[in-house]
Amino acid sequence: MTLFGIPILSFITFFPLAGLVLILFLPGRKEKAVKLTAAIVAGLEFLATLYLLTGFRVGSGEMQFVERAPWIKSLGVQYLMGLDGISLLLVLLTSLLSFIAILSSWNAVKSRLKEYYVFLLLLEVGMIGVFVSLDLILFYVFWEIVLVPMYFLIGIYGGERRLYAAIKFFLYTLFGSVLMLVGILVLFSRYHTFDWTAMLAMGSILPAALQTWVFLAFFVGFAIKVPMFPFHTWLPDAHVEAPTAGSVILAGVLLKMGAYGFVRFSLPLFPEAARRFVPLVAVLALISIVYGALVSLMQKDMKRLIAYSSVSHMGFVMLGLFAMTPLAVKGAVLQMVNHGVSTGALFLIVGVLYERRHTRLISEFGGLSSRMPVYAAVFLIITMSSIGLPGLNGFIGEFMILMGVFPVNAVWTAVAATGIILGAGYMLWLYQRVMFGKLQNPANESLKDLSLREFAVFLPLLLLAFGIGIFPKPFLNVLDKPVEKVIRIVNPEFYEREAAVPTVPADAEKPVVGKGGVR
Amino acid sequence: MEISALAAGLKPLAPEIVLLLAAAAALLVHLFGGRRGPRAAGWVSLAGMAAAGAALAGAPLSGGVFYAGSLIVDSFAVFIKLAVLAAGALTVVLSFRFFGVERYEPGEIYALLPLAMIGMTVSASTVDLISTYVAFELFAVTSYLLTGMFKKDRRSSEAGIKYFFLGTLSSGLMLLGMALVFGLTGETSYSAIARGLAAADSHFVLTGMVLFFSGLFFKAALVPFHMWAPDVYEGAPTPMTVFLSTAPKAAVFAILIRVMVGIFAGFQAQWSIILVCLAILTMFWGNLAALTQKNLKRMMAYSSIAHSGYIVIGLAAWGEPARMAVLFYVFVYVFMNAAAFGLILLVRKGEGFGEDVDSLRGLARKSPLLATAIVIVLLSLAGIPPTAGFMGKYFLFLAAVDKGLIVLALAGALNSVISLFYYFRIGRAMFMEDPAGETRLESSLPVSLVLIASALVCLVLGVVPTLLSNFAGRSVLGF
Repeated sequence: MTLFGIPILSFITFFPLAGLVLILFLPGRKEKAVKLTAAIVAGLEFLATLYLLTGFRVGSGEMQFVERAPWIKSLGVQYLMGLDGISLLLVLLTSLLSFIAILSSWNAVKSRLKEYYVFLLLLEVGMIGVFVSLDLILFYVFWEIVLVPMYFLIGIYGGERRLYAAIKFFLYTLFGSVLMLVGILVLFSRYHTFDWTAMLAMGSILPAALQTWVFLAFFVGFAIKVPMFPFHTWLPDAHVEAPTAGSVILAGVLLKMGAYGFVRFSLPLFPEAARRFVPLVAVLALISIVYGALVSLMQKDMKRLIAYSSVSHMGFVMLGLFAMTPLAVKGAVLQMVNHGVSTGALFLIVGVLYERRHTRLISEFGGLSSRMPVYAAVFLIITMSSIGLPGLNGFIGEFMILMGVFPVNAVWTAVAATGIILGAGYMLWLYQRVMFGKLQNPANESLKDLSLREFAVFLPLLLLAFGIGIFPKPFLNVLDKPVEKVIRIVNPEFYEREAAVPTVPADAEKPVVGKGGVR
Repeated sequence: MEISALAAGLKPLAPEIVLLLAAAAALLVHLFGGRRGPRAAGWVSLAGMAAAGAALAGAPLSGGVFYAGSLIVDSFAVFIKLAVLAAGALTVVLSFRFFGVERYEPGEIYALLPLAMIGMTVSASTVDLISTYVAFELFAVTSYLLTGMFKKDRRSSEAGIKYFFLGTLSSGLMLLGMALVFGLTGETSYSAIARGLAAADSHFVLTGMVLFFSGLFFKAALVPFHMWAPDVYEGAPTPMTVFLSTAPKAAVFAILIRVMVGIFAGFQAQWSIILVCLAILTMFWGNLAALTQKNLKRMMAYSSIAHSGYIVIGLAAWGEPARMAVLFYVFVYVFMNAAAFGLILLVRKGEGFGEDVDSLRGLARKSPLLATAIVIVLLSLAGIPPTAGFMGKYFLFLAAVDKGLIVLALAGALNSVISLFYYFRIGRAMFMEDPAGETRLESSLPVSLVLIASALVCLVLGVVPTLLSNFAGRSVLGF
């Protein structure tokens, strides 16, 4: 499939780059033109990614729209792109959140606009590239490209401690990724290719010890990005100091890159090592869930609270991925999207208040619902989505994960479930302290409700929250085959057991697995 | 008839002869050109380097051996010569800026530069002990002069003297090593020595080898042979620092590769261990020392030491892909380093130049283009894609991993993280801090040219590395 004669995946990856170049040539004084161009580019990019749907074969677990060309021929590096259901959802999420991030910055950023939008668009190039690359070096290149604009977004447009947060973000994630690079090179020395599809076709040929080491190298790279306890310490700083749009992208997409790395590379390429590390990863995921939630409860700063809640939610995703059952993995991937939607929206919600009051301290607010009714409604819906109220998106993902983890280990499920309870605790308490009660702070008397533009920014996220919550089937259908493919590699016993014993114990999960639906 | 025969005989040395003529012409122009003489000498020198580049294009790449087996002109040599010429040309361009501001232009340097480059380009071609030593000494002696030539600044003279004393010592060690190797075999040509050494007592051979190498390690500023480097790089006039931190290294790595392959191929196990240790030491020492520097020039001096360490990874990982990686990295490194030191020439302080890390504050507002160019170079230095620096490191690490030297790749990768921290102190100053202090930024055409050219090289070779890597790959075939 092509778009304007360019293969579709290349088009969606590099279209923001073209927009970026265009912006570079605009005079910096014409702020409106710069903003408008950036918004139009991001909007068109979103439409272009939607166009993918027209050619996407839902029932296939194979890579689609594959593009292949030699890049560094002598060393086996290819320009290899492809997309399956997992990538598709994340690509759509990326282009939507990038568009929203750019729209939401309309009034928030006042100085050095041109560079701001250049960084945001460059970020989009990197993120889309990560989700569609199938050559490991190409993947690595995009993975690293993401760091640079994010560093500048935090460092230039961030809060008080922005310099510290920016370099901390850069160094932490770079540390993880260079280890991954060494892992990639070790893989090459055995497979003699960087082609992911070729590696899968060859099966896991690494000796056990080497596989463990390479798995660990990738693990550190991805776990820092996710981030998992104990690699999460960069996240609160980066989230808090980043400008609103930066936080939206950071929480909405960048964290997903880590989780995506696990499901795309770690699980299928190192199945034996991955299985061996299930207990460790699960325990770390559980710690992330509970610890993230507990720390969220104690926060005074709204952004910090949401940042730690991300640690907790991403813990769910990791637990789901390493449960290695189709239900849990599908739930985990869906939960990546859900978390992007709800946490992205939450950062926007905080951004709205910050733009008006220039503070994010919870104690500064209270009783806002009387002044900002529309805002209150939006905030409430997103809060409910985040804590997993049935009918909204968060419920589907978390429920599927818990259902999928239960047959593997009931204790893990129980511990993870406490995370949901704690999650309801910190989110509702936040909502209560900010929105309810009496309006006591005189500074809040004159707060304006959401403008039409601001509401328009929230609208697609609200629709998605309801859409996934009420009718998740299309999303899950897209995931069915790709996830099955991963599970067949990393946990083939699951299907063998199911085929051999059609009654107990697979009975409990069978209807769910077969249909790919929850209820 | 005889003249044409002579001309044909000199053809393999055409680039060197062009450089020699340029050096002589530059000297004359400087002496008789009056007040404008030095600047005109610079242009003559630059033109000579361009002409030498053109002469290089016509060189036979067949790998023919000339002059009683003392020189070989193959595409490996051509590659190194190109890198040396690029370093020289960038140096001259930066010199225009530096000496223009300082209002003191010693025109002799424009004659010394081509002379030093002759030493280096010949080094890339030698396959004989005597011509190796002569070429080595030619660029060594001129390097001491280039360092100390800037009499206005006492740091320059001090650095020149320091470089001279330590350099002579190391040349002496190297000569001793050569003498031992010669004594064991009675031959001076590499291939004859290699045949002779097979029967020699390996203790003597190893002693000779280590002494021989230590002279080369010294010139390449590998830890622990690096003690002179930070002082010399900091003290030398900035354009000369660009030259001294790039071109001699290209020459030395060329000699090392030829000697390792040509003479000591049978002792690979021994020198491989030595080089692994040196690479790790050099990378960590250079980067960790750079972390604490406040002076930009000294910081970049340590950074350039660390980069020698990366290149040594490729020497330790024996084989064609590794040598290709070395060539690629050396070439890219010339441009990265020229920009890294060249950016100092944007900062004015009083009559001269400011050298603080923070003195680039606010450059992004004043000149977004230059700031972007510098960021690209910094990313390349740190090895972040999509830059040539990343590709270079990728080639080096891949070669190392392929030979089972995973520890080298790991050390290199970690160093790339460490180095990012200090490189991005510059990025931070340019983009995130407001101008302050007594320094001021002053745009300058030569510096801008060098910065933008370097950034383009880093970016283009980062996206399409095959432009260079194919040539580099062909150059290392047939050793």
